This record gives sequence, structure tokens and C-alpha cells, in this order.
Amino acid sequence: MSEPEIVPDIMRISWGPQHPMSGQTRILLDLDGEKVHRIIADLGFTHRGIEKILENRTYLQGIVPIERMVMADTPNIGLCYIKAIEEAMGVEVPERANWIRSLVCEMARINSHLYAFGLQAESTGYFPAVFLWTTVDRAWILQLFAELTGARWSLNFFLPGGVYKDLPEGFENKIIEGVNYLRRRFQKYWDAMVENYTFEMRCNDVAILKPEDAIRLGATGPVLRGSGVAIDIRKDEPYAAYGDLDFEVITEDACDSMARTKVRFREIVQALNMMEQIAKEIPDGPVRTRVPFFARPKAGEYLSRVETSRGELGVHLFTDGGMNPYRVKINSPTLRNMYVFERLAELDEILMADIPVVINSIDPWYLDSDR
Amino acid sequence: MQEESKELRRNFDSVPGSGIVYNVVDYLLGWARKYSIWPIHFVTGCCSPEFMQVSGSEYDMERLGILPFASVRQCDCIMVVGIVSRKMALRVKYLYEQMGEPKYVVSVGACPTGKGPFYDSYAAVAVDDYVPVDVYIPGCPPRPEAIIHGMMLLQEKIKKEKRLGVKNV
Amino acid sequence: MSRMSESKFVESFKTAHGDKIESAEMLRSMRASVLVKRETFIEVAKVLRDEFGFTIPVSGGAIDYPKEDRMQMMYYLMHPEERFILIYRVDLPREDLKLSTLTQVWEAMSFHEREAHEMFGIEFEGHPNMIPLLLPPDWKGGHPLRKDFKGEGVAE
Repeated sequence: MSEPEIVPDIMRISWGPQHPMSGQTRILLDLDGEKVHRIIADLGFTHRGIEKILENRTYLQGIVPIERMVMADTPNIGLCYIKAIEEAMGVEVPERANWIRSLVCEMARINSHLYAFGLQAESTGYFPAVFLWTTVDRAWILQLFAELTGARWSLNFFLPGGVYKDLPEGFENKIIEGVNYLRRRFQKYWDAMVENYTFEMRCNDVAILKPEDAIRLGATGPVLRGSGVAIDIRKDEPYAAYGDLDFEVITEDACDSMARTKVRFREIVQALNMMEQIAKEIPDGPVRTRVPFFARPKAGEYLSRVETSRGELGVHLFTDGGMNPYRVKINSPTLRNMYVFERLAELDEILMADIPVVINSIDPWYLDSDR
Repeated sequence: MQEESKELRRNFDSVPGSGIVYNVVDYLLGWARKYSIWPIHFVTGCCSPEFMQVSGSEYDMERLGILPFASVRQCDCIMVVGIVSRKMALRVKYLYEQMGEPKYVVSVGACPTGKGPFYDSYAAVAVDDYVPVDVYIPGCPPRPEAIIHGMMLLQEKIKKEKRLGVKNV
Repeated sequence: MSRMSESKFVESFKTAHGDKIESAEMLRSMRASVLVKRETFIEVAKVLRDEFGFTIPVSGGAIDYPKEDRMQMMYYLMHPEERFILIYRVDLPREDLKLSTLTQVWEAMSFHEREAHEMFGIEFEGHPNMIPLLLPPDWKGGHPLRKDFKGEGVAE
């Protein structure tokens, strides 16, 4: 294997794809006793070549492979691709469709953040019960997705020009019921995880990432906002209905793993408030502008950006007037955060036992970085 | 040792009624084995959240005895959940060789069966080029009921096996 | 965070350093693009980082134009206050795919240059750690994202 050389007196451990906490990647840890001297990430275990596959699909067929980049957060990714196509075709989206898009995206954000908590709790070693709580709480979100779109995870609900179909009867009441349920459950999570002495001992002051380092190394998403830098694409370039909803960019100043976890907690609370506002104030109207099935957009390049739950995703679409895209370049958030993870061993002293906590506070999804 | 046991079996086979003993022993051992299939705690691709929902509280896989376990030597099943790239397929093969007999492979999802929606990918492979597969579960991702149905088909297969399902004796 | 800042940036950049670049334009609101010559690539990058303040490295990738016999390497940069994306591009002829590495200016471009190397075959001079990022280490085929890739390297 062509890897960097091993320095004498340093032990190299390969923390590989078959480990309950490592995910689908191999991380090489160079250890000096208990202290981590260097981290080397070996990515590519889930590489599918999505960028090449999209060149062989039409624009509408391309939504299927690209949504499977992050399975827990598929509407946000689909929205990024669909926005690029809409810009290329010059299609206007009706207002009710934008509000439905925001609703589905916020539900997916809660889904993904709850998944991240479950893994964070399991990585501290003895909270697998919290992981099982999250499977129950995510079950109602998946049930609502199945009622709305037919699929639980990979929705494929957005089309260029709007959404596939309207909300069913009584859906707004179900949303408000679910929001109230999750607000009651939220207090349990707060007590078990954030205000818990043992969890604080594991997560406070672990892997501190200062704001200037976070900017210089290209961090994104809750990793960047947990270091105090307030950058959120939903405020910088409002898309869907985010210009009309009231929310704010959530930051924390402590810069450690606990801060990154707290950012995700508070984003869930804010997402619940946004869902309630959407269910009460959604305007009436059509949900779809008809677009020809085999449409050929004009030649050019179109870059669209969306804030997924892990950070900023960019889809740069190059069209040449044919039925298939010429090139699709995907800017993945996890690839940026994995570089930050590699440099964390040099910025702060990390012990070997802290590595699962650190990596789950960064919340990578390796299918996103490998595409 | 192998010749002695073959000798004993040949002597035992000539006794009338020996077939009943084999059937009863196989039935009891099959019943015990099928209700404790331990897969390796290993996911390869994007069907992984659905796998975790199945072992969660709503569709509980553990009531069938299926417990994901971390140590490879003590497991008897490898559930290949999700897309397998070439780099990962070598690890799947390595883990399959490390497990002790009898062992099974379940391919969960459309991707390990035949690459699924990524059928023209240059980097993905079908897992049955590397390990022999017992049960294929289609879907993208398969519903939790489908995964449980697939595991119950594996249980049926184990129940019908002769001589503990060991393939290389 | 005014909406006019991309065009103001393009104007001031062209007046100050117009001789070192091929073109600079504003594609639409919040997107700007600079096409630079290969010789002044690192110099202009340092000017962008130090004078104009583009300190956030976002991503990097390449695109293949076989009909015009060139490849184009693109880097995406973001400004922390103005928040718009600048696409920093350089054209490379297909026979001579060599470029100085941009990790000397923004070190987070390391992963993206490794990926561009294995997918397109572009050589980056001075890269600290040029090993394959996504493809298996025993990959014997061609460069997958080129337009003339025929699927070799897949079978064993």
C-alpha cells in the first residue's frame, strides 16, 4: 500500500471498515502511547462513480443515483440537483411548492441529526439505549415520509418545476401532532446527553478547533458553526421558502465536541419550530409547473448550493444542449470535514479513546465523500 | 480422525432405523441454530440506516435471535448491506474466510445483487463474484418487513440442512 | 453583504491585475469566475487570498474538453464576509497536464488535487502526499472521468 512512512517509536493501528464505530472507512492512527500523533484517512470504500454515471442518464433519470449520496438526508441533496436543472431550464416554481420543499427538507434535517446523536451516544461507549430511542423517534418521520411520497428514505419527491403531488388531507394536523410529541421527547435527550455529567466529561474540551483554523481548513456545517463562525447557506442565498420563515443561524463558542453536538440539538429545536410555522401558514396554489419530459436545457454552466445537515453541498452542472449533462461536479461537505479531521491531531492533543467521540462530533457520511 | 468417523458412520448406517436418529438430531440442531443467527456488525453502503431501523425498537430483529456482533470468529452470517466497491469486496472476502463453518451470506438490497441503480458503474461489483450468497433481498432500500422476510427464508434454509450445514467435511 | 459586491470585485480585480489573467466575469448573482494563465497561477492565487480576502477553500475539480483538446482545472473559493463563490480556473493542454499545486496557498485543496490526479491524470508539482484517494490501490485501468474512458480496469 502506498501510505506515508511510519516514524520510529510510533505504533500504527488500522481502524478498519469492520468495526462497530468506524463506519465504511479505514482510519490509520499513529500512536505515541495513548496520544494520537497523526491521523490518516483512507477513503474510497464506497466509491460508486456517481459523477460518471450522471453523464449517462437524462436529467430526470439522474435524480435517482444522486439522491443516494446521503441516505438519511436525501431531500436536501435532490433539491440541490433539481435547483441546478431549474436554473438551466429557466423554470419558475410556484410558492406552495417551495413551502412543501422546505417542510420536507426540515424533516430530513431532523432525521439526520437524530441519527448523528444516536451514533454520538453509542461512541461514548455506554449509551446504546439512546441510539434505540432515536430509532423510535425517527420512525414517525419515516412514517410521514411514506404517507407523503411512498418511500421511507430516498424520496425522489422533487421534480423540476415543483413537487410531485400535493399534501394529503389532514397532513398538517399530523405534522403538528408529531412536532408536539418530539418536543416532549426532546427534554429526555437533553437530560441524558447534554446536561449529563458523564457525557460532559467525555465531550468537553475534546478536540478544540479554533475559528481561524476552521476557516483556513475549509470546515463546513455544524463543525464550522460549533467554532463560532456563522455561515449558513439558508441565510446567505435563500432558496425554497427560507426567505419567508423565521429562523436564525445557530453558533456555539466553545469550539469543542460538545459545542458541535449542541449546535445539532438546537438545530433540531429550530427545525421543529419551522415545521410548525409551515404547517400553519402554508399558502394555497398549484404545486407543479409542467416541464416537458425530455427537456433539453440551453448550453452553459449552473452552480447551485444547499445547506444539508452536514454542511454545504454544491452541484455544478455543465450542459451542452443534449439530453444528458456534459459534466456534473459535486462539492461534498464530508470531504471538506475529513480534511479537518486529519489535521485535528496536530491542532490539539487527542487521546486514542477520544477518537470515536471526535469523529462522530464531525458527523461524516462516507458515501457522501466518496460519491 | 476423519477416516475413523467415516468408518463409524458407515457402521451406523447399516443399523436399521438409523435414519430416524439422523432426522431427529438434524431437526433439533437446526431448530437451535436457526434461532440464533449472529451477523457481523458490518455495513457497506447506503442501506445501512434501514438495517439499523430493523434492529431498532419498531421492527425488532433481535426477537428472532439475530444479534449483530462485533467479533468475527463468533458470528455465523455476513449481511452485505448496500453497495460494494472493489476495495470493500476484498474485505468482505477476508471476513468471510475468517468466519467459522457453517456460515451464510445474505445480500441485502439491490446493489450487492447486481449493482442496483448504479448498473454501469466502473467501481462497484456484484458481491456474488467474491463470496457465495445464500439469500438475496431486493429493494432500494428494502422495507424492514422485507429484510425480516429474507432472514426468515434463511431460517427455513437452515432448518432443512443436513449434517449441520458444514460444506467442507 | 450587499448584492453588488460580486461586480465590484470583478471591476476592481480587472483594473488592478488585468494583465495576469485571461478573463474575469460575473456569471450571475453570487457567482464570479476568473480564468487565469498557467504561468501566473500561483501569483494571482496569493493576491486573491491576501488582498481580496478569499480565505475559505470550498472544493476543486476538473473537466475534460476533448474536442477543444484541453482540460480545465477549477477551484471553488468563498469569501467569509461577502459569501459569494469564486470559480478560479486554469486551462491545460491535453498533452501537457502539469500544474503547480495550490496547497501552497490553501492547504485544504490537497484532497481535491489527489482526486483530480486519479480521475483525470493531471500532475500537480509539489503536492505533499500524492497517493490515490478514492480508487483502489491496484487500479490498472485508465483515468475514469476522461471522456475517452472505456471501462477498463474494472475486471480482475
